Amino acid sequence: MGATFVVTLREAFEAALLLGIVYAYLERVGARTEYRWVTLGGVLGLVASVLAGVAVSFLSGPLLDLGPDLVAAAVIFVAVALLTWHGWWMRQHARAIKGDVQRRIDEARATQRLWIVGLVAFTGVFREGAETVLFLWGLMSQTTISGWGGVTGGVLGVATAAVLGWAIFRGGRQLSLPRFFAVTSVLLVVVAAGLFSTGIGKLIGLGFIPAADPLWDTSWLLRDDSVVGGFLSGLSGYRARPTAPEIIGYVGYLVGAGLLLFTPRTPPTPRAAAPDREASRPSAGVLS
Amino acid sequence: MTRRLTVAIVMTLAAVMSATAARAAEPKEIPITIENNQFSPEEIKVKAGEPFVLVVTNKDKAPEEFESKELRIEKVVPAGKTMKIRVRALKPGTYPFVGEYHEKTAKGRIIAE
Repeated sequence: MGATFVVTLREAFEAALLLGIVYAYLERVGARTEYRWVTLGGVLGLVASVLAGVAVSFLSGPLLDLGPDLVAAAVIFVAVALLTWHGWWMRQHARAIKGDVQRRIDEARATQRLWIVGLVAFTGVFREGAETVLFLWGLMSQTTISGWGGVTGGVLGVATAAVLGWAIFRGGRQLSLPRFFAVTSVLLVVVAAGLFSTGIGKLIGLGFIPAADPLWDTSWLLRDDSVVGGFLSGLSGYRARPTAPEIIGYVGYLVGAGLLLFTPRTPPTPRAAAPDREASRPSAGVLS
Repeated sequence: MTRRLTVAIVMTLAAVMSATAARAAEPKEIPITIENNQFSPEEIKVKAGEPFVLVVTNKDKAPEEFESKELRIEKVVPAGKTMKIRVRALKPGTYPFVGEYHEKTAKGRIIAE
């Protein structure tokens, strides 16, 4: 039971993390009515996972040999692109959100693009979803008396991940608005950097990027397949034995996204500058 | 933005596909079986410096995920299916793998020499 608990917890954690952040984000920008996009994305991600699981079980031949890997690699890089975009968008919001008036305007503008937030939820769930579905399915098809313990563990693993996602959502609501944006921006960039290097690892595994020896080995300290290692892998792309291309990808992404998202941009955009001045006084107390 | 993204994805996939097709020289195939949540054989010896293909057959009633953190390979092998996994040319050394869904029993290693 313990073993299956760890597997599903590890697989579902990243999805829960992203869903928690995205829901909290919508709550914080006052777009609570737009939860449906995230819910829809998450549910479609689940449906796609089941379909992918079914497809893998019934397909055969070369399509089966390579198809899932290509899909997996594509999903990773799409997720990185979406997270980067989301971070950039949040930055715009963080700047515009200083006043209530501006906030309403932005909210309206935002709803036009909220389906992309739904896509973040979709890729988050779909990325490890098919594996988790197949795993649980396998457990259920193997139910002997001892097997039920495995099923219970697997379901509990997913449930625990969901609770963690919920905790992140609640935690996000406790933070002050500027801090929430700051924390989630950094968190999402780190998650995306981890995903990016995972994607590069995948391309290495497929032979599209030349392989290299690991540059260091911290498996004595923290193994990839341990619970904590699994968390850190979902959160920050931790690898016990990273290779040069993965490290270069990781650092490269961090630097690139950092420049894009965290450098002060001068001069400030006229759209953000003008209404800010009017609205900053009444909202100052709320924000700090 | 969406269209550009789609184009980028399609182009990447196309590039990846053609790269695969170009590698026509068939590498050696090495069979390995999963039964009762165990690999057989558990030790696979290969020549260092030559890519090869693992032909993994899952005889169990449940899917298994062939996983090697070392080789960055993760591949679900559904119940009763056979899948081919291309493995790059390896440097001499030992590369462990597991069945992720049954990590306790499904263990093995590739030895490149």
